[in-house]
Amino acid sequence: METQNLLRYFDENLFIPNLKATTKDELLKEIVDQFVNVKYLKNSQIVLEMLYQREMLGSTGIGKGVAIPHGRTTSSSDIMIAFGKSEDGIDYDSIDGKPVHLVFMIIAPPQDENNMYLPILGKMVEILNKSKNRKKLMSIESFEEFKEFLEKE
Amino acid sequence: MIKKELELLVVLQDLDMMIDEISEVKRLGFEAENEENLRKAREELVSKISRPLLFSYEQLKKRYKRAIVPVKEDNTCLGCFIKLPTSISAKGRADSEVMRCESCGRILYWL
Ligand SMILES: [Zn+2]
Repeated sequence: METQNLLRYFDENLFIPNLKATTKDELLKEIVDQFVNVKYLKNSQIVLEMLYQREMLGSTGIGKGVAIPHGRTTSSSDIMIAFGKSEDGIDYDSIDGKPVHLVFMIIAPPQDENNMYLPILGKMVEILNKSKNRKKLMSIESFEEFKEFLEKE
Repeated sequence: MIKKELELLVVLQDLDMMIDEISEVKRLGFEAENEENLRKAREELVSKISRPLLFSYEQLKKRYKRAIVPVKEDNTCLGCFIKLPTSISAKGRADSEVMRCESCGRILYWL
């Protein structure tokens, strides 16, 4: 999958450059609330339940300051990705024990057009495994800059 | 009350989808070792859902990827995209009973 094709799953309303959360629970809630505030999701409780269960399976804090909470939910009809940053870092129970600074939350419906959900997840891991990308993302302040980053990557 | 139970059913369906995709997610490099936790969560969830509703869910799961589907704002079933009769959507919105789509049989859920 090409990085440029990821762009359609992002949205300015789901770009959170200054996350307030300091813990995993606060973080999941803060981002899901944003989905609800902009009316992309209706029932935050159901989505949070799914995300908590995902964390029970294993931490989505993949290390090096990155977390990719994700899952399919009956209450969504499209794939949507929120991007948030935290300068101070979030206590996330990551696999390397380090605080999280970059968060990509990926919410998908039970079935998605062309089965893009898993390839998207894989692509995000691939992008975030590169240290130059993590560094660049940390410096991004606006959604415009973020779009440019995805277009160039 | 019913709404609550339908919400539990939605949570169950989301959990079942997660269990189905564990190996794929692992292959992508994610940590997903504690499958046992999800099995336990599932058991706990199942114990809160009434037998007949659970039976319908399991039966529908054999036929469809989604046994329970949301109803769109324009009153179409998101399983088969057929418009629901107003009588069904009125009852469903009132949460008075569990409603199923007349054309595909899926359990309907009003977000
Ligand atoms: Zn239907």
